[in-house]
Amino acid sequence: MTPAETFAERTHAQRVDYAPWLDREASRRALAEHGLPEPRCEAWRYSNPNRWYQAEPRPSPSAGASPRAVGARLVDFATADDDARTLVRDHLHTAADRAKHPLATVNDIAMRLGLLVHVPVSDTPAEVELGELGGGIERVLVVVDPNASATLVERPATPTHRVVECVLGEGAQLDHVRLQPPAESVEYHLVAARLGAASRYRLAQYSQGASLRRNDLHVRVAGRGGEAEVRCGYRLAAGTHLDTQVGVEHEATDGVSRQTARGVVGDRARAVLNGRIHVAPGAQRSDAALTTKSLLLAATAQLNAKPELTIYADDVRCAHGATVGELDADALFYLRSRGVVEEAARELLIGGFLAEAVADVAGDDARALLGIGR
Amino acid sequence: MLQIENLHVRTDGRDILQGVSLTVERGEVHAVMGPNGSGKSTLANVIAGRPGYEVTEGAVRFDGIDLLALEPEERAHHGVFLAFQYPVEIPGVSNMEFLKAALDSRNAAAGEEELSAIDFMRRARGAADRLDLNPEFLKRGVNEGFSGGEKKRNEILQMLLLEPTLAVLDETDSGLDIDALRIVAAGVNAYASPDNAVVLVTHYQRLLDHIVPDYVHVLVDGRIARTGDKALALELESNGYGWLADPAS
Repeated sequence: MTPAETFAERTHAQRVDYAPWLDREASRRALAEHGLPEPRCEAWRYSNPNRWYQAEPRPSPSAGASPRAVGARLVDFATADDDARTLVRDHLHTAADRAKHPLATVNDIAMRLGLLVHVPVSDTPAEVELGELGGGIERVLVVVDPNASATLVERPATPTHRVVECVLGEGAQLDHVRLQPPAESVEYHLVAARLGAASRYRLAQYSQGASLRRNDLHVRVAGRGGEAEVRCGYRLAAGTHLDTQVGVEHEATDGVSRQTARGVVGDRARAVLNGRIHVAPGAQRSDAALTTKSLLLAATAQLNAKPELTIYADDVRCAHGATVGELDADALFYLRSRGVVEEAARELLIGGFLAEAVADVAGDDARALLGIGR
Repeated sequence: MLQIENLHVRTDGRDILQGVSLTVERGEVHAVMGPNGSGKSTLANVIAGRPGYEVTEGAVRFDGIDLLALEPEERAHHGVFLAFQYPVEIPGVSNMEFLKAALDSRNAAAGEEELSAIDFMRRARGAADRLDLNPEFLKRGVNEGFSGGEKKRNEILQMLLLEPTLAVLDETDSGLDIDALRIVAAGVNAYASPDNAVVLVTHYQRLLDHIVPDYVHVLVDGRIARTGDKALALELESNGYGWLADPAS
């Protein structure tokens, strides 16, 4: 048996006491049917999933701040009342398809902590901060009611396995920021969002590398005129790894999506960046764009970047562009000629490059994480 | 202060400078003129330490120090400044951040204390004002989307803030309209003092109407073909450079 099969079998056999009211059977069936990714499969080519199967998911040391919310309700799945259970049952897996994200089924079965974030309509946008959840295998379901709006800032310390599902009702707005500090862990993250009609979802993820850090960011523009923005800024220190797979699916007409990524890859570090745009049949007048810019700081830095466009509608606008380069020698000399020592000049240029990836929400945290303006 | 002796420089496999000797003392303004391709910019870049130039012979000393052995930032710390012919755009780094980094580095190298943010802003605004630049311009990305004239004024602004002892201005007049030229010249004139020196590298004489040089050197084919005073620049204006290349003249 392969490590994937062994792990799937072990997961399947698990009996978890946590929130027993959750329906785990569909996930067990999906796991049995689809299995788990093998190292040779294309989507995992640069991030050996065996390392993840073999890493024992452990609850993280709960040192960080606990989650807090203003204008939103936070409910632990374990203590959910009937209302909360109904919300969870109605929305779980409406964004994350079990067949497409087999690792999410593992999360379903083995989760040690699940959190419902429910954002009702209010005059002022809700503010939610998820610090340390401490679960090791963590699940977050964010339900933004029609016309409600919120900002969600995640500061995962180092969860081994976190799945965040965001479901936006019609006209809802969510600004979602993820801050991933450097770590030595082996991690899997899935963010799956489903956008109702005329809703707006903006995801900004700022990352440093880990031993193995895989981020699957999956956005479904499911309602007419939904707007999605996925922004990634990352900086990989020597020898670290970050694999980001962004997929935006246009399922309805008049959707807009923008994917941008800016990354800096250090010595012996590896960045993987796949950006996918999928326009389903009938999703006319979709407007999608994907831009990635990367800087490689050393000859031993590695980047595997791949844009992918699959378009099944004829009246659409889709654009993509990717650039890879080194620090600009002229700019470096310009700074040095003004007396800025080489190391500081390089920092300034790297910071300037990454600064363009930083959005307003939690901008200072993002800059601190990426080491901008040190 | 600056002694250039028999300098030979090669770049891109071509010998550009072929024995340049030049001495600049404090309190002096020198103009280095010459036709395109004569090596003017090469001379400026070698003084500042731009990579890609190979010195095959000769020496450059600055207050007795071997300038060529120093990194570009060390040269700056010793008081060398080059106003670029083509200032570089650095998106994402604000002009303010850039100027503060430059001043902080200089002060750190001199063992001086870092300027407070307030003092820095006051000085930067003052310099911007002297060059008729909107203070908003300090918040913009370095040279990003600046007009040609703004870029050149930004170079002079940096010079005013960094107070170098040797300022080499590489074709600072190119791309300037007459008003901008006057402003830039006024900035340079206000800066020039008995404690520092200015080397103007220029193709045209018109800058010298506004900044009067003590010496004019004409560079032809990598050598200084003639040295004179301001009258030489006027002669070049009416006769062009051709007569200098002709050994019979």
